[in-house]
Amino acid sequence: MTKLTTLAEAVGSIPSGAHLALSGFAISRCTMAFAREVIRQGIRGLTISQCVGAMDMDLLVGAGAVDRVIYGGGSLDRFGRLTCVNRGIESGGLQAEEYSSLSVTFRYLAGSLGLPFIPIRSLRGSDLIKRIEEQTGSDVATITDPFSGESWLTLKPLLPDVAVVQVQCADQEGNARILGPRWDNPEQVRASKRTIVIAEEIISNDAIRQNPEQTVIPGLLVSHVVELPFAAHPTSVYRAYDYDARQIENYVQAARTPDTFRAYLDHLVYGVKDHQEYLKRVGGIDRLDPLRADPTLGY
Amino acid sequence: MELDYTPSELMAVAGARELQDREVVAVGLGLPVVASFLAKQTHAPNMTILFELGVIDPEPVDCGVGLADPRVWHRATVLSSFVDILGAILHKGLVDVGFLGGLETDPYGNLNTTLLGDPRATFRHMVGSGGANDIASCARRTIIIMRHEARKLKPAISFVTSPGYLAGGDSRERAGLHGGPSRVITDKAIFGFHPETRQMTVLSIHPGNTLDDVLGTMGFAPAVLQHVPYTQPPTREQVRLIREVIDPQGMYMG
Repeated sequence: MTKLTTLAEAVGSIPSGAHLALSGFAISRCTMAFAREVIRQGIRGLTISQCVGAMDMDLLVGAGAVDRVIYGGGSLDRFGRLTCVNRGIESGGLQAEEYSSLSVTFRYLAGSLGLPFIPIRSLRGSDLIKRIEEQTGSDVATITDPFSGESWLTLKPLLPDVAVVQVQCADQEGNARILGPRWDNPEQVRASKRTIVIAEEIISNDAIRQNPEQTVIPGLLVSHVVELPFAAHPTSVYRAYDYDARQIENYVQAARTPDTFRAYLDHLVYGVKDHQEYLKRVGGIDRLDPLRADPTLGY
Repeated sequence: MELDYTPSELMAVAGARELQDREVVAVGLGLPVVASFLAKQTHAPNMTILFELGVIDPEPVDCGVGLADPRVWHRATVLSSFVDILGAILHKGLVDVGFLGGLETDPYGNLNTTLLGDPRATFRHMVGSGGANDIASCARRTIIIMRHEARKLKPAISFVTSPGYLAGGDSRERAGLHGGPSRVITDKAIFGFHPETRQMTVLSIHPGNTLDDVLGTMGFAPAVLQHVPYTQPPTREQVRLIREVIDPQGMYMG
C-alpha cells in the first residue's frame, strides 16, 4: 500500500500538543522542511524529544511551536549553540528535561521493546538527575536488582506520538534506508506510535526487496512517506549533500535576538508557500548543486 | 635549538601519552581528537577510537566542524548507532578511556558543560551533556582537558553535568559508579587525583611555567607533590604530525 503523500498532508496529520521524536543530530539529517511546514500550519504546544538536540528542534522552539523538550543537550557543532532552546530555558518559557545522550536513547529503547522501565548506570551523582527528579518526579526511580541486590537507577520509557525521520531513500510503503550513522533513529521509530518518513528519493519496492538487510525502518511502522529533495537543508544528508555553511551561519546570526529571528522566519518560513519556494529563496539549483555529495567521500 | 611548540600542542601530546596501544577510547571533537589520532599514529596503532553517535575507528582526510560532520566519519570501520557505541560498548564496560572537555571543573574532577551562573536564578545555558555524562559514568577512566584559568578551575562548579569523584573520598563508589578521572591536562600543568581523598594533585608543570604560575591561576589549591617535575615536551615528530597530518588547517587546535 502506498503511503506516499505531500509534506503538507503529512504535517497536517499532527495535532497540536503531540510528542514528536525528530531525527536530527546537531547539523545532520535534521527534519528542516518538516519543521518549516509545522510552523506554517500553526501547530503548537509540541513536545520534542531527541538524544542530542539539533537544528530542527531549535527552529521549532524559536517559532514558538514547542512547550517542552526532552533531550540530552545539543549544539550546532562549531556553528554555535541551540540559541532558541537556550533562550527558552533561561527565560523559563520552555520546559526542558535534560538528560544525557544515552539516557534519552535508553528511554526510547525501553519504549521500542515494550519494557516498563530500563536500568542505567549514567546520570548517578550528577545534577542532571537531581533536576529531572525535581521536574518530573515520576520519570526516574531507584530499584533493587532482584538478582544481585544492587541498587539501580531506572528510567521510564519514552513513547512519542510520531517519529519524523529524514532518510536517504525509501519505497512507497515506507521501508527506509539510513546511510551513515543512525544515532537514536532506529529506537525513536520503534518507540513511537507511528513514523513519518521524509525521503530524499523514492526507490522501488523491488530495490528494497533486493537488499532487505539495508532496511532500517520497516514500512509497517510508517504512516506517511514524503519524497522531498534537499528536505534537510541547510543541514547535511550523508551521501546526498553537505551542510550549507552560509545558511547555517545566517540562522545563527538571526537567532541572536527574538526580533532578528522573527525576520528570519518571515523571510524563509512564513514568506514561502512550500519547500520548493524555500529552495528558490536560498539560491535555487545554483546554490544547491555544489552541496551535492562526492560519491566516494559521502560529503 | 629548542623545539618551538604551542601550549595546545603540548596538551595534545600529553593527552596522547596517556593512551596505550589496544585501548578503546571514546572521544569528543577538538583537542581529544588530535591527542587520539596522534597516539594512534605513533605508539598506539591498535587503539580503537569511538565517536558516540555510531562511529568506530575513522580515518578522516578532512577536518570537520563537529561530530555531525561526515568528514570525521571517513573510512570508519563501523557506522552504527548510540545503542551500539554508548550502549553495547561504553555502558557494557568496554571503554578504557573517555576524553572530556568542559566549561568548569572542581578539585574532584566533576565537570560542567550545562550552564554558567545560578541554576535557580540567573544563568546562561550552554551545551549540556551529549555523551559526556555517559562517558564520565561508564568509562574505566577519564581524562579531562581544559584551559588553565581561575574561572574554569573552581572550588565549586555551577552544575555537575558529568561526575568526577563527586565530594571526594569514596563518594563516587557510594553513588554506584566505578572508574573516575585519572588526569586533568591544562595548558600549564598535568594533575592526577589522590588515591584516597580523590583531591586534584599537581603531577607535572609544563616547561616555561613555575609552580606559582600554576597555583596563582586556579580557583582552588590542589595538592602538590614534594618534587614536581616538568612535563616532557613534545618531540619534533609529534609536532610535525599535528601540524602537517592531523590538523593542517588548525581547526582542532584553535
